[in-house]
Amino acid sequence: MAEVQEGGFRAFHPSWEDPSCARNLAVWVCGVDDLRLLPYTVVPQLGMNDVRVKIKAVGICGSDVHYVKKLRNSRVAMKEPMVLGHESSGVICEVGASVTHLRVGDRVALEAGIPCNSCVLCKEGRYNLCKNVRFFGSPPTNGSLTQEVVHPASLCYKLPDNLTFEEGAMCEPLSVGVHACRRAKVEPGRRVLILGAGPIGLIVLLVSRAFGATTVHVTDIDQRRLMAAASLGAEGTLRVSSDMNDMENEVMELKQLIGVPIDVTFDCVGITKTMQTALKVTKSGGKVCLVGMGQDNLTLPLTSSAAREVDVLGIFRYCNTYPLCLDLLQSRKVDVRPLITHRYRLTEDDMKEAFQTTAMAGDAIKVMFTI
Amino acid sequence: MERRREERQHSWWRSRRPKDVKIRMKAVGICGSDVHYYKHMRLTNSIVKEPMVIGHEYAGVVEEIGNEVTHLAVGDNVTLEPGVSCAHCSHCKEGRYNLCDEMKCFATPPIHGCLANFVVHPASLCFKLPENVSLEEGAMCEPLSVGVHACRRAGAGPHTKVLIMGSGPIGLVTLMAAKEFGFPRVAVVDVDENRLKMAQELGAHEVGCVSTRIEDVEKEVLEIQQKMAAGIDITFDCAGLEKTMRTALKATRSGGEVCLVGMGHVEMKVPSTAAAAREVDILGLHRYRNTYQLCIDLISSGRINVKPLITHRFRFSQEDVVKAFNVSAMGGSAIKVMFNI
Repeated sequence: MAEVQEGGFRAFHPSWEDPSCARNLAVWVCGVDDLRLLPYTVVPQLGMNDVRVKIKAVGICGSDVHYVKKLRNSRVAMKEPMVLGHESSGVICEVGASVTHLRVGDRVALEAGIPCNSCVLCKEGRYNLCKNVRFFGSPPTNGSLTQEVVHPASLCYKLPDNLTFEEGAMCEPLSVGVHACRRAKVEPGRRVLILGAGPIGLIVLLVSRAFGATTVHVTDIDQRRLMAAASLGAEGTLRVSSDMNDMENEVMELKQLIGVPIDVTFDCVGITKTMQTALKVTKSGGKVCLVGMGQDNLTLPLTSSAAREVDVLGIFRYCNTYPLCLDLLQSRKVDVRPLITHRYRLTEDDMKEAFQTTAMAGDAIKVMFTI
Repeated sequence: MERRREERQHSWWRSRRPKDVKIRMKAVGICGSDVHYYKHMRLTNSIVKEPMVIGHEYAGVVEEIGNEVTHLAVGDNVTLEPGVSCAHCSHCKEGRYNLCDEMKCFATPPIHGCLANFVVHPASLCFKLPENVSLEEGAMCEPLSVGVHACRRAGAGPHTKVLIMGSGPIGLVTLMAAKEFGFPRVAVVDVDENRLKMAQELGAHEVGCVSTRIEDVEKEVLEIQQKMAAGIDITFDCAGLEKTMRTALKATRSGGEVCLVGMGHVEMKVPSTAAAAREVDILGLHRYRNTYQLCIDLISSGRINVKPLITHRFRFSQEDVVKAFNVSAMGGSAIKVMFNI
């Protein structure tokens, strides 16, 4: 039955009436705040270069919550119900005819975006920017918060024996931190400042330290999150407000707290106040890395920061990060386990609670489904 | 007569150091920043608190050299790099001396400029001009350095397609530098058709006339992208206004760069998230560093011809000075206004 909602959204998917996939359940967003556990068709025939994966762990993130609340992201709107989730790992249960590097039984982490592999950006290695990428849980591509998916083998990475499925799923958000630290060239000698101690800010903290940053300082409006940052190795933290009028004072306090010029500032919130702070507090010749996606149109004092050669780098997802993530986790240079604060199973009640917990933030850092 | 000359020498000797030289001015160009100080007594965070000598694009003849100067001789024609950095801060030691916090640059308050008969300057910042480079061309090394530094910062190569917003003196030197750096395709846009004609004469592959209205951004982005079908890798915003930055951030391809060269507006409302989500980076620029010798070589070898940019010349009198600044302030057909002695 097709229910046409506002904006041309048809709240129906053919999967739900397909008898062959009744066994494969998924978490669907079917309308605003309308989450349902329903069947999801997975292709019966495996492509030569694909693998079939039984999903074992899926983390959820702010962007998943955003779809539940708004049915869209800043660029594209959902036109029909969609399976959520993109941070996943699982076990291979079938391999395509041409797949050689993976076998049935292998435990793998799944890289969420399938690029086209033929455009200029893909060929230059910046496949995260591919215009035709199919990304789990980004309309119109269904996500991986389900029991089974089919995925290109080249985007499945074998988990070392000492890593859990949860750590495998964490490779996805961890990749954002790795990509950001790479783009910003974090290395020994660098003084790093992170604005925002949510899951992404905390991951950037862990990766900055793993990349050898000399010091990492963190700000947030929530004291609990600052305590988490301190326990994860931040040299110092500063509680800030959400009031623009406090910005000048906060810039001064930050400079006093850190005491030396700041080379790189990661804005993991992405609103006018944090970006303005970043542009003012970063040293001449330094870099501001915009990771968060809080606000679309920011008012920035660009000329005065550009005139100090403070560069602004954008971050969009990640590319070529999974192997490094697995190395960092395996060697324990990065330990993401403390970030997993809540766990749920794939049931109706758990599903609803999981998303509510993520939306409320506060104590919750990473919410993980165990499938 | 002898005693008076001694006295004059004596007062100059007092302020001169063993590594300095004394230069007699021959050619000084006026820049938009000089005009801005003249009209507004400030430029972003630099405020003129007391009368200040203006001018920083300078070339002249060496009149006297300090004891420890070896690479210059009296009578040499030289061009001057105006900024004296401290040499011991971390910026200087890392080679980014243009960012030195103790930078003393001609005509940036409180440091006096060089639109004067004589200046004293560190010899290491005076570059000898070859026979075939005139003093005017020497003075042009300063603005040309901005173009060269922009192209270097943008890290481009023989595959890079470029858009330049603004066809004023800085847009045009950036155009010249871009072509020299081997960029295969350079488009220039401006609001003024005459300035675009100059850009075409200087080798722009595409030109486009744009408006000053912010509502036209979307339309102009499409037009520009059509002209540069293969995509714009780098945009140099040589105007530095909210409208030009918005256009630049939208028109540049994913993974590209926007280099903010101009200093039009200090606070801008820009669609930063949209640009960051395509990894379009925003690079800033602060004057230049390690560019002078390259500029001299480019001019001397004939690969860059800066002479067409010098559109107006004035002599060094009260009347001429006022006229020169007014001509420069009016823009339009005036690109580079030069003082000559």
